[in-house]
Amino acid sequence: MKQRFLADNALGQFLDWLTHYGVLHGPTRTAEGVDAFGPVQTESDLCLDYRRTLIPPKKYLLPPRQTILNYTTAAGYTLPDRPAPQQVLFGVHSCDLQGIAYLDRVFLGDRPDQLYRRYRNALTLVGLSCEPDPFCFCASSEKAPRNADLFLQRLEHGFIVSAETTRGKGMLAGLEPLLTEIEAIPPPPVESRMMIRLRNAAERGSTFPDSPLWENFAARCLSCGACSVCCPTCYCFDVLEHGALDGMTAERLREWDNCLFRAHGEVAGGHNFRPTRRERFLYRYLHKYLGFGALAGVPACVGCGRCRVVCPVAIDLTELFAEGDDVCA
Amino acid sequence: MSAPELNSIPISARIQTIRRLTADTALFRLQLDGDRTFPFIPGQFVQLSVPGGGEVPISPADLPAVDGTIELCVRRFGHVTSLLHRSRTGDRVGIRGPFGNGFPVDAMAGKDVLLLAGGLGIAPLRSLLFHLLRHRSDIRSLTLMYGAREPAVMLFKDELLELATTGSLRLLLTVDFLSDTGQAEPACNVGLLPALLKGVQLEPGRSCAAVCGPPALYRCTIDELLLAGVAEDDIYLSLERRMKCGVGLCCHCAVGQLLCCCEGPVFSYRDIKNIPGAL
Repeated sequence: MKQRFLADNALGQFLDWLTHYGVLHGPTRTAEGVDAFGPVQTESDLCLDYRRTLIPPKKYLLPPRQTILNYTTAAGYTLPDRPAPQQVLFGVHSCDLQGIAYLDRVFLGDRPDQLYRRYRNALTLVGLSCEPDPFCFCASSEKAPRNADLFLQRLEHGFIVSAETTRGKGMLAGLEPLLTEIEAIPPPPVESRMMIRLRNAAERGSTFPDSPLWENFAARCLSCGACSVCCPTCYCFDVLEHGALDGMTAERLREWDNCLFRAHGEVAGGHNFRPTRRERFLYRYLHKYLGFGALAGVPACVGCGRCRVVCPVAIDLTELFAEGDDVCA
Repeated sequence: MSAPELNSIPISARIQTIRRLTADTALFRLQLDGDRTFPFIPGQFVQLSVPGGGEVPISPADLPAVDGTIELCVRRFGHVTSLLHRSRTGDRVGIRGPFGNGFPVDAMAGKDVLLLAGGLGIAPLRSLLFHLLRHRSDIRSLTLMYGAREPAVMLFKDELLELATTGSLRLLLTVDFLSDTGQAEPACNVGLLPALLKGVQLEPGRSCAAVCGPPALYRCTIDELLLAGVAEDDIYLSLERRMKCGVGLCCHCAVGQLLCCCEGPVFSYRDIKNIPGAL
């Protein structure tokens, strides 16, 4: 079988061509040395061999702080009419594509969120294969997730280009002049025992209630919330409203919230349903690995490894899965 | 406008009347704009918006009205409710909803129904009470046990006493302690709510209980209800959580893996008894 091939020396043209679909963003390395998705002007802005960005692509779909409603005394509450920016996100790894697929299930499910849909429809995704490192653990069957409009599999002198969506198939047709043909090269299989363990735990609905690790984690945790901020599938949000000084208008915002924070479980009058770090940990575990509500039974973890990298006290929830595990023995 | 939009954008309403019930609690009757009506099931909740302040989840205290009004009993507790309490008749507010499941009124048919309210928990149970009184012949008996901290903060007392005179409702009131004046209130017990359940005997499978109140109320009444013979399946608990979105997205209100805003706020005791931190 033949596949479409983009040579390294055509990458610049490819990036130029992508700007037809929106403002180009991709993995860059900031002046501080942090890998981050950001605007890309030329090929040299890209950091193609990045492992993982500090903040995942969720920031393109759920801005850290976003106006969700405007209020005027004349019109009441209305949706903001500002259109979402047309953007192309280049170089998204499979784990982050999986993360976006999960967010799609949450925000485009039974009660679709209109602002999310607006941002999602305006975002074109170009995936990129990656090399695993000791922190991450995604599963090989998902190397080219179906939600990537285009997916690039890295070879020595270029990329195999495939289209995974209707939009992507249309794009691929326009891309022809830049492509050549190459014999099919199957992507290298990735072994992920951790993902299997995690899914088995989720299937059993296990919360490891007797594990001493809970106390261990809770004793060390600083409640900094970094694991949640950098998680590609953490989407908890707080809702705020600010009245303008004119007394006639107001703005309602949603902004990233964090289940490790004490206020997350508070209700009116100050009662807190999750006053201890242990309880907040369990809440995070339940949401991340076992799922809430309509997505109960669907693990949200995509194995990107960010939480393991950023935790200042080296807490690793996946240690729970290794305990007494017979699956991979 | 499609249903999801109704759930994400507040409908405009005006404050029609404000009835002060206690020093910090008032009953707000809202009139929805246009010819809108607002159907809901007792026990469901709405998101009430006070412009410039934000939103709070509140369970309506009456029944859906044909005239497009809705009654909310609100205590001054935080930022939004303080703003609401400073509002005047005619001021604009917003409403989204209804959200959640509400009380399973059909499952109460033919049964001895016990309503247990603590403090502000009387609000959603007043809605359920009105529903059951309207369909009184569908159920076998109706008892309301209502406990307040002290006589001065007992809500809807006169109204409840009047309803009880019709004979279709057995009413038991209690206060945790008497006021400073030490004056005994007529028709009112002194003691905690669970004390009213002592010695009560109901028929398992033919009785049910709906409970709403502060977190401590659930922990101290469940055992009494089970002892009285109410089955685990027939104890309905309306749980309080901070529902910020109401549509299962913001993830502040999970009870175990159940979302209070979608799968609750009313849960049977059996569904949540093994969930750590649920009660």
